[in-house]
Amino acid sequence: MSSIAAAPAVPRAATRAVVVKHHALVRLSHWLNVPILFGMIATGLSIYWAAPVFEHARDATTGSTDYIADLGIWIVRHVPGASGDHDPGGWVYNRVGIGTFHLALALRLHWLFAYLFMANGLLYVLGLFLGDGYRALLPRLSDVPEALKMLRYYAGVLPAKLLRRPWPHPPVRSKYNALQRGAYFSMPILGILAVASGWAIHKPVQLKWLERLFVNYNGARIVHFTVMVVFAAFVVPHVILVFADGWDTFRSMITGWSERVREGASHGKA
Amino acid sequence: MEKPEIPVEVPVSKLRARSRRDFLLFGAGTLAAAAGFWWLLPDDTRRLHLTDKMRGWLDSLEARVGATGERRERFLNGVLTFDDDVAEALYSPDRSVRTYSKSDVTPLRNNYEGKTPGPGYLPGWTLTLSGLASGKIETLTIGDLLSKFPRHDQVTRLCCVEGWSIIAWWGGLRFADLLSAYPPAPGAKWARLDSAVNLDFSGNPDPYYVSIDLPTARHPQALLATHVSGRPLPLAHGAPLRLLVPMKLGLKNIKAVTSIAYSAAEPGDYWGERGYSKYDGL
Repeated sequence: MSSIAAAPAVPRAATRAVVVKHHALVRLSHWLNVPILFGMIATGLSIYWAAPVFEHARDATTGSTDYIADLGIWIVRHVPGASGDHDPGGWVYNRVGIGTFHLALALRLHWLFAYLFMANGLLYVLGLFLGDGYRALLPRLSDVPEALKMLRYYAGVLPAKLLRRPWPHPPVRSKYNALQRGAYFSMPILGILAVASGWAIHKPVQLKWLERLFVNYNGARIVHFTVMVVFAAFVVPHVILVFADGWDTFRSMITGWSERVREGASHGKA
Repeated sequence: MEKPEIPVEVPVSKLRARSRRDFLLFGAGTLAAAAGFWWLLPDDTRRLHLTDKMRGWLDSLEARVGATGERRERFLNGVLTFDDDVAEALYSPDRSVRTYSKSDVTPLRNNYEGKTPGPGYLPGWTLTLSGLASGKIETLTIGDLLSKFPRHDQVTRLCCVEGWSIIAWWGGLRFADLLSAYPPAPGAKWARLDSAVNLDFSGNPDPYYVSIDLPTARHPQALLATHVSGRPLPLAHGAPLRLLVPMKLGLKNIKAVTSIAYSAAEPGDYWGERGYSKYDGL
């Protein structure tokens, strides 16, 4: 006597297996970094405008001695939407920065964001230790061959997709693959460099030992500027890769958990 | 060592509720950050972004929540004071400024904000001292200053608030020596240094003034400089007498000083009144 109708309806799964990815403080400081770094860069550019550290001989036609002014002049000349701007040399400073001739305001805002950045860095480190996240960030020897495998994977992933060839992701036995670990591990170091070179520029008399660490005053300015460029450059692949990786990865940085459970993981109970 | 990930079974309803809460917080945070940025942006930079209509809407929204420009100023002043307090707390007690050798000297830079004053003021130039313990007002010529006080030389760096810096070989009398020869009135904590000959961009008079706390003035490396590179100061660098306080930003190093007034209360400061710090300690 068997009847399909009599079989009990399969209940919808009332629970789901998730893994905890990021501590709340790590998530909070991650997102706070977006406006803070944006503010640091925008105000920093307006400070940089007052006395650029990377200069060339005066250009006979534009009168410019500053590469960032040159970039603005190029944009106004060649980018259709920007043509006709009354201040080509200030184009980048006015759009990416808070504007030219705003040194006093830019300085005050830069200190504001700088203190927020330092406080946020402490939150991040606290979160890394409270949530044990630092363990996954520490570089290991196997990162070298794995990074090469990852590079090979990224180089071939698009052609393989186009040719519809299988192109398996190299196995990852950690929270991060070797390239991610390299990138994420260098961020706090970059943050420390940004803060150290910033203080060396801000208080070169009181912190002369710090200035000497960067050889001299301009050395600290060059490091400070370069760190900004690296931060900005990090954002591009970071955002692209999160998009490529998908919704779960993005959500995990907001909610803290992920539905991606690695195979072979032993299950626990909430 | 990295610990293995341990999946946990969580009720779907709980996950949904948490997700909703976290995404709402995230959205609120994003809006707050965007609004905060708009509030901090100077008016002429605002005009470069968005359309007239959107700007008008944002401005009225701002006015409704009371985010006024006045509040912004007060808030930013608070930031500035905080930063100055941090600097003062960090400052080493000996406060010595690094000195360089004469081979490190770099070209000078004339950073007069307006036009450089012409030589007309030099023959009649005097230094007026007020707020003295004697109750008198003293008037000194450059000859008095050069003959009365020993000359000290130092090779130090001048850092501008704009970000550039120069190293120069300065010579002059110690501010501390002037202070002991003409002591300020008891209770004085500040000096205000004025340059009556300072000009604006079009060459009209634009007196310049700075405030200096007396401990800074008494610092052995605080000079009233009369010489640079072994020669009398040129007009571009504040002939015949300028303040040299290498522990402060360049804007405190007032050129062509014409008077010094001591006071108990903090005097005005030209750039301090124009949105910069008036502490300016490096």
